[in-house]
Amino acid sequence: MNPALRKLLRKADPDRADVEALLRDLDFPLVDGTDVTFVFRGKADAVYLRCWIAGLDTAQPFQALAGTDLWATTIELPKGSRIEYKFEVVSHGNKELILDPLNDVVARDPFGANSVCQAAGYERPEWTLHDPQAREGSLQSRKIESSVFRESREVDVYLPATFRKNRRYPLLVVHDGVDYLRYAELKIVLDNLTHRLEMHPVIVALIQSPDRLKEYSGDNRHARFLVEDLLPFMNDTFPLMDSADSRCIMGASFGGVAALHAAWRYPEHFGSLLLQSGSFAFSDIGRHQRGPVFDPVVRFMNEFREHPGRPADRVFMSCGMYESLIYENRSLVPHLQSKGVELRFEEARDAHNWENWRDRLRIGLSWVLPGPAWMVYE
Amino acid sequence: MNPEAPLRLLLGPQRPVVNFDSALARSGIGDGPIGVISAAWQEAEGDIDGMQRLVKNPLSDLHLYQKTEALFAADTRLHEAYRQRQERLKEQQRLYRLRLRQLKIAARVILRAEGEPSVVAAERRHAISQLRALDQHHLRQVDKIHARFDKGFNVDCHDLLADHTTSLAEALSQFETLLITGGNVVVLMNRLRLFGLGPQLRRKNIVAWSAGAMVLADRIVLFHERMPQGRRDAEIMCRGMAIVPDTVLLPNASGRLKLRDSLRIGLFGRRFSPADCVTLDNGSYLLFEGGNLRESEAARRMTRNGKFKRIRAA
Repeated sequence: MNPALRKLLRKADPDRADVEALLRDLDFPLVDGTDVTFVFRGKADAVYLRCWIAGLDTAQPFQALAGTDLWATTIELPKGSRIEYKFEVVSHGNKELILDPLNDVVARDPFGANSVCQAAGYERPEWTLHDPQAREGSLQSRKIESSVFRESREVDVYLPATFRKNRRYPLLVVHDGVDYLRYAELKIVLDNLTHRLEMHPVIVALIQSPDRLKEYSGDNRHARFLVEDLLPFMNDTFPLMDSADSRCIMGASFGGVAALHAAWRYPEHFGSLLLQSGSFAFSDIGRHQRGPVFDPVVRFMNEFREHPGRPADRVFMSCGMYESLIYENRSLVPHLQSKGVELRFEEARDAHNWENWRDRLRIGLSWVLPGPAWMVYE
Repeated sequence: MNPEAPLRLLLGPQRPVVNFDSALARSGIGDGPIGVISAAWQEAEGDIDGMQRLVKNPLSDLHLYQKTEALFAADTRLHEAYRQRQERLKEQQRLYRLRLRQLKIAARVILRAEGEPSVVAAERRHAISQLRALDQHHLRQVDKIHARFDKGFNVDCHDLLADHTTSLAEALSQFETLLITGGNVVVLMNRLRLFGLGPQLRRKNIVAWSAGAMVLADRIVLFHERMPQGRRDAEIMCRGMAIVPDTVLLPNASGRLKLRDSLRIGLFGRRFSPADCVTLDNGSYLLFEGGNLRESEAARRMTRNGKFKRIRAA
């Protein structure tokens, strides 16, 4: 337990002022080496830490601290870890999931927000923050009339700050593109990495599906949409390099499945892939345990594992060690390498969330779309 | 200026500390006008107001980059041929890199190997000679690609290219001294080559930093071991202007190389010998007069055993 908290509890009768001083003076959760103590103050019948980390209990009980209205629980977190969590507060039979009231660090995602615990050694990478020196690229919205889906689809397009009509650029297609902008600071990262010459100036097509769990699960229609609708539209509208090695598809979670599936179906169209925490569920025998939404994913992945082909020349993969998907992601690495794919795989002490994906973008983007830093000597 | 012994002032990056102004003042180049080649800055070419505030010499940019852009816009056949040449060079570089990677891995393993000294020594020598042979082969292939382009596209058959080359020659004749900035070394070298500026540069005093200095060597070696996507083995890109011969210039070596890895550094030095591999970090200063080193500050030379030796004028 944290020394300050222990000292407080040693007092025979800690008063309200002692508790308030402690809460005011310390940063929560309390990080002491690899021990992290979460504290909740308030009336409750029970309190649990909910953090959805593979390998830890999904609900870690808090203990009421005698003589106070504080509750606490301590877990061990290896250095460099970053986890997202909520408190589950049980009161009069009601369960409520809340953010940690003592912690201002919050991560947002399409489902809301989580509190963030940054263990010893974790620091948010500075290249994910706005750099006033970096010139900003621009975003524009376009509509594509999709012959595959028979409806119009919106695509946001990022142009680098140095964009010129008489230059040609590589194309990066991003699944869940709007989410990447909102929750993984993709625009800031693109601006910064381009400014630092770490990635090639690139035109980015940010796509968003109205039914991602279906369309991103190994759906042939989606792969056709990319090749028959999106690529011709982008080629007609923007000055793009005209070769597979200057096209990359990226995605996280089911977006990773969609990227791999499209490249597998149409290997001659895409030279590189950036796959983050891909939901690459498969079964060697019997039925998988992940629920019906994964059925098409497992069908695709089983077929892929049987006949992987060579979906791209260059692949970057990342996955959090605290995700249940780490096993599937690790399993994919030798499959791709055995086909001669130039592959880089990064594991992080993080879980299935947007900030994990954000923090891996520098290595990933500079791996699939290396910038001119190699040639620039200022 | 002594035309038999022009001055070559080579500097490291101008960040965080600028030293081209003080270096220029102590070099003996004088206060005359200076022609600037800032093509390596690409779109920012010609943005020299900040530099002008630091020196008395009137500075005038030669706008090589912009002239090339205008030339390509007007002569699409030349532009297309140039683009095809660049694609061929890219492909050549890619294949060279594939072979280089394997030879470098083997060479590093052999350099670490223990055993009967005479046996190991022979294998080490051969491992390095294979690297050098590959580098030589690559240079010859690159030369061929350039020769093929030059044969089809030279000033004799392209009026616009001839016009630009003539006007640049006239502009250059007004200056005894040229200043070549750092930036993208590939862009810079390609522009110097396109307009055939080598012979004229040879007769001038030259102040150059980073990429500007690299193009003056006889070989341009690209290097960066600290990129976020991982380190990459040093590669020869092409021949340079050979104005500073027998030297491989390494700007910002402390930021780009793992200088404490004596095995890698030793291999680097031996691979490119007999050329001297010379670091040009921020604050470095090397002044040659007629090919002889007159003054130096903070520049270091790689040794065969992976160490560094400060360079001193004789």
